[in-house]
Amino acid sequence: MLDVFTLFLFNIIVYNIPLLYGTTGEIMIEKSGSLNLGVEGTMAIGAVAGYLVGAKTDSLFVAVLVSFIASGLVGLLFSFLTVTLQANQNVTGLTITTFGVAFYYFIGNALSNSKGGWPKLSGTALDAQSQALHIPGLSDIPVVGKALFSHGILVYFGIIIAILMWLYFKKTVPGLKLRAIGENPAAADSLGVNVALYKYTHIIIGSGIMGIGGLYMGLNMGGTFEGSNCWINGYGWISIALVIFANWSPAKALLGTLVFGFFNTLRVQNAALAYVFPNTLGWLTKIPSHFFSALPFIITLLVLIISSMTSKDKSGEPQAIGRNYYREDR
Amino acid sequence: MEYAIELKGISKSFGPVAANKNINLSLAKGEILALLGENGSGKTTLMNMLSGIYMPDSGSIFIDGKKVEINSPEDSGKLGIGMVHQHFKLVERFTALENIRIGIRGEGRFMHGPEVRKKIEDTAAKFGFDIDLDKKVANMAVSEKQTLEILKVLCYGAKIIILDEPTAVLTVQEIDKLFAVLRKMKEDGHSIIIITHKLNEVMAISDRVAVLRHGEYIGTVVTKETNEKALTELMVGRKITLNIDRPIIEKTHPLLEIRDLTVKSDEGATAIDHINFYIRGGEILGVAGIAGSGQKELCEAIAGLRPIVEGQMIHEGESIVGMSPKMILEHGISMSFIPEDRLGMGLAPSMSITDNMILKNYNESKGIFVDRKTAREEAQKVVDKLEIVTPSVDIPVRRLSGGNVQKVLLGREIKSGPNVLITAYPVRGLDINSSYTIYNILNDEKKKGVGILFVGEDLDVMLSLCDKIMVICHGKLQGVVNSDHTTKEEIGLMMTGTLNIVNKEGKTDGIARDSAITDEEGKA
Amino acid sequence: MRRYHLVRRADSQLKRTLIYYAIGILVSLTIGAVLLISLGINPFQYYGRMFTIGLVGNKYGYKSIEGLLKVFVPLLITSLALSLSFKMRFWNIGGEGEFLIGAICASIVAFNSSGMPNFVTVVLMCLAAMISSGIIGVAIAALKVRFNTNETLMTLMLNYIMLYVIRYIGDTKADWNFFLREDSERPIFGSFPESAVMGGIPLGKFKLLWAVLIAILLTAVIYIYLKYTKQGYEISVVGDSSATAKYAGMNVGKIVLRTMFISSALIGLAAALAVSSAGTISDTITNDVGWTGIIVAWLSKLSVPAVFVTAILISVLQYGCQAAATQYPAIDVNFADLLQGIILFSVLVADFAANFRIVRKEDAKHA
Repeated sequence: MLDVFTLFLFNIIVYNIPLLYGTTGEIMIEKSGSLNLGVEGTMAIGAVAGYLVGAKTDSLFVAVLVSFIASGLVGLLFSFLTVTLQANQNVTGLTITTFGVAFYYFIGNALSNSKGGWPKLSGTALDAQSQALHIPGLSDIPVVGKALFSHGILVYFGIIIAILMWLYFKKTVPGLKLRAIGENPAAADSLGVNVALYKYTHIIIGSGIMGIGGLYMGLNMGGTFEGSNCWINGYGWISIALVIFANWSPAKALLGTLVFGFFNTLRVQNAALAYVFPNTLGWLTKIPSHFFSALPFIITLLVLIISSMTSKDKSGEPQAIGRNYYREDR
Repeated sequence: MEYAIELKGISKSFGPVAANKNINLSLAKGEILALLGENGSGKTTLMNMLSGIYMPDSGSIFIDGKKVEINSPEDSGKLGIGMVHQHFKLVERFTALENIRIGIRGEGRFMHGPEVRKKIEDTAAKFGFDIDLDKKVANMAVSEKQTLEILKVLCYGAKIIILDEPTAVLTVQEIDKLFAVLRKMKEDGHSIIIITHKLNEVMAISDRVAVLRHGEYIGTVVTKETNEKALTELMVGRKITLNIDRPIIEKTHPLLEIRDLTVKSDEGATAIDHINFYIRGGEILGVAGIAGSGQKELCEAIAGLRPIVEGQMIHEGESIVGMSPKMILEHGISMSFIPEDRLGMGLAPSMSITDNMILKNYNESKGIFVDRKTAREEAQKVVDKLEIVTPSVDIPVRRLSGGNVQKVLLGREIKSGPNVLITAYPVRGLDINSSYTIYNILNDEKKKGVGILFVGEDLDVMLSLCDKIMVICHGKLQGVVNSDHTTKEEIGLMMTGTLNIVNKEGKTDGIARDSAITDEEGKA
Repeated sequence: MRRYHLVRRADSQLKRTLIYYAIGILVSLTIGAVLLISLGINPFQYYGRMFTIGLVGNKYGYKSIEGLLKVFVPLLITSLALSLSFKMRFWNIGGEGEFLIGAICASIVAFNSSGMPNFVTVVLMCLAAMISSGIIGVAIAALKVRFNTNETLMTLMLNYIMLYVIRYIGDTKADWNFFLREDSERPIFGSFPESAVMGGIPLGKFKLLWAVLIAILLTAVIYIYLKYTKQGYEISVVGDSSATAKYAGMNVGKIVLRTMFISSALIGLAAALAVSSAGTISDTITNDVGWTGIIVAWLSKLSVPAVFVTAILISVLQYGCQAAATQYPAIDVNFADLLQGIILFSVLVADFAANFRIVRKEDAKHA
């Protein structure tokens, strides 16, 4: 009985950490005043690039680095098109998604059909390095040990990124300047902040973070390429929703990941829970799994509508989001 | 004398319009210099060259005796120049402390070390600022925001501080407070340039006064050795006789009467304060006033774009209060307002001249289709009549030059055959020839018996063109004068709030003798 | 400090824009060719096969045309509908969701239409789809007008909510669920009765579906609507400057609501035509037109004739990849998406090059 419960908690974290990467990455980008709808594609490119190079070098460190760089390059493309060339952010972002996912399939199919085939994960050092760490003492605590302290290194890394980002926004001057750009780029500009440089840097870093989330998903799927199902599987879109749910705060993104993750895990494990607790949780099987899948989007839609109806004071939505900044040279 | 700033031979043009012509100006160390001039005399342009927003076309700038080049706001800040813009540059969601912190250099990468806060608090205390550093800008009153802007530049170590019309948004008590701060800053060795139109303030705060007129430097006088009348003369200059016709037409009954009108600005301040006036057919009534005295709000209220707080607006005996812009239009009141960005309101910039011509009456043709055939003919007529320079009527108005854009706008307003025409700044940014074309257009309309409200900037033009001029200051009526029986000095004094003649000789200005509004109605 | 700065070109010549676009597309195809070569595929052969959508040397060539048109019609109508709202600067990226609502409502009519005349059924399907999608569009527009809710994010959420709705319908065996085949143990979407399947004009073996004619007619109608009617004029003014629209006495809120109704209803219509042509519904019925339509609309700069041409080209790209996939198993249909993405990036750059010049600061001063 306790096992089901523990496993449930464990799964909330294991399966949903990519959301945290996607969300914190997108928060960093949106805080600079840019709305990047290319999360899904950016994650896909980071995943495939990181995984392949990681498998080749058999090193998790290299895999993470490459996924960060590959997705960072996608961020560079987005910055170049929207910041320098002033292209529309929505269209550019959506195209990055189309492109990125297609790129994933293209590479995957090409490799699967090649002589060497798609590199396998099982039995490699890459696999070993991404497996759960045993933290002496903590991992052995009943329930909590398994649920919280028996994860792979990328889980902790994601949490650390979220906390660091939260501190970055809250406690540092570059973070303050970044937020000022997202709110009122003209004001930041008048104080000598290099708006374009800040946007480029943060869009690239944010995209890179998403890429690591993509890599995580690939590793978590056992590294197998399926011709019909992308590793990212819509997590990029849920991340965009989660940004709103988290009110643009990396700390709340951590919380939001657990909330969205809870529903996500409920979808997968409702039968198991209902089996163990037939009396109290038996009704769970009656709820279609699609409802749990749609729930993040439904909640976000409601949050969007309700927050727009009430005062905007508490909203963390950057005021200048989605609009390109162009200091008109007269 | 040691100078903090010396400007030598500064010139700056925007296209064909010269904003600054060969300007020489000096600011002594530790003095308060008032920069005086009418709207469009080039004050803000000149100051923006010091703050790094524009670069001069020619001339040189010396700071503390050294020749410098200012290419960006950053350069300006490093030279110790701080500017408080008329339109605040603040992040609304941030606290005062956060807003200041964005621009503080050095002090590490972490936000509020106690020493940063202490430093800001010390600076605030030193100059007697009363400010809550943890208050969000969004929750601040205008005066608090201004305090924050001043504190900001002080914290960045500015030694030279430029304030662009700082008193325009303040109450009398707040102005006193501001002046106390400025004096403290001066004692502390700061050099200050303050732009203001209000002569009493100039007399109260400044050591010297520099005057600009039409983009040219007129001279600098020591405040103690001058008076308001002399300054007004310097500011507006001797009357220049312009070659503008003023045909005398028999005036008809009052077409539009405004009684006790009060309107609020976007920020919620009272922009127009119990104003009375009327326009007869066949006359041009000028509206003179310092920029931001409520001209925009007045125009928008009459056009139905802005709700009024109280008062009456009677057009040919019928109240137009509460009517939609469309209904007012159908009544024959037409408005063309040239905003600073010119294309912001009134025109659809990406659409053709033809399409802009029919903006207000596209709905009049029968059926579901827009009648472009007639529209194109009309557009061609307007283009020919007003001599609009364009390859064709199908060109987007965005691609026309400023003067031609204004002709399109005015041409459309006239085309609909209004009997009241409201026009604001129709010659803003135009060269002489284009301006004269516009004056001729207005005179032609006047001859047709149209009543015209002309919101203008240049007093010489207004004295030549308008039959009467009403002067407003901070939304209050200062009086209505006949162009033939007044002087620029008189209008200048009224504009700056020094003179009010509304109740001169027992007669109230702004109410017609043959008013269509009875006394009871007027009070209601 | 900055020596160079950007200046918007005063004149934007159509010829220059087209040349830059052509260069952009050429560069994209070259990048595609490099990818193909890296897989050991001759790009000329592949592109040849793709752009002829498998017509050459195929005795069932008419099938290819029919297939192409089934891709083309929904894409064309959806792109036109999205252009309508984008022209007003309303970011309706909910094409997928609106399409699905329309498809579901049209299918409700279809599955319950046995015995009804074909014409009546298809018209009812279209109406059901248009009204249901239109209402959703209006609801979103109303929230935008009233509370300024972010329409981009709202419509984005709608897409995914609707995706799970249709998946739920497709996965759930139940008495009420008339969408599924009764004779199958596994949940499979059923086929429409004959009455709900789109007819057409037979031209030899080839059948020209009514849907194609409707789509072409609609293109003409929307072209006229935008260019010549008062409502089309209003959309242009609101999109160009909503302050000016208010000044001219237009009721901006009403115009936004009306246009969003039309835009969403048209997407609903596209869905009805698509399910009726296919004779069934599925959770992949949208064929991603909600997303692709955005790219088509943007590539065409929201011009109706350009949308028509671009929709044909993108359909050829998409369908051609499918056709070529039979010969080149290493490449699947995603290659079309990949190319599509590269083309859009190149065209964005081309567009910029056609509209801006880089000027040296000193020159600018004396200009």
